[in-house]
Amino acid sequence: MNSAMEGMEDLPEAQRNALLQKIEELQVRDSLRTYNSVVERCFVDCVSSFRSKNLDSTEERCVTYVLRKVFEACARVGMRFGEMSSQSEQQMQQMMAATGTARQMIKR
Amino acid sequence: MASPTEADLAKSLAMAQQELDYRVDLFNRMTSSCFEKCMDRRYKDGELNVGEHSCVDRCCAKYWQVTGIVGQMLGAQGQGM
Repeated sequence: MNSAMEGMEDLPEAQRNALLQKIEELQVRDSLRTYNSVVERCFVDCVSSFRSKNLDSTEERCVTYVLRKVFEACARVGMRFGEMSSQSEQQMQQMMAATGTARQMIKR
Repeated sequence: MASPTEADLAKSLAMAQQELDYRVDLFNRMTSSCFEKCMDRRYKDGELNVGEHSCVDRCCAKYWQVTGIVGQMLGAQGQGM
């Protein structure tokens, strides 16, 4: 993600704006999908009786717990994802640098 | 070096969008899978306990490794064709 963002600065304005707009679109779409999937998770995990049309207090409490857990889990995954992404990227750059050095040596 | 053509730029933009799409999808699937695998479904409270924290960390690491292995194999197959 970092290299994509850095590469963005080289793009001409029109392209950069198009990319930024696309990013925003993806964010909106992602938020909506997240909303739906969290609702589904809460429902599936918490609601199992249909004696009444309304949620009882246990079910309501369960939904808040699920929500909070999802939030925390998502944040933690995000943190690890970021770490692993930048690690991978560093490894790639090192590999490419090493390959470049090797190529230069072979040319000589 | 000649400056990139309109077509080159359009191609780079398309590739960047694809990469973004891919990463977002990867993140969502990782989150969902690790939640599935790690969370205590009894939902006694709204916070992750210590076990769940470590489980999520290890789950992410393993998921990432699987992504790498699959990527390598798919890449090799692509070249084989």
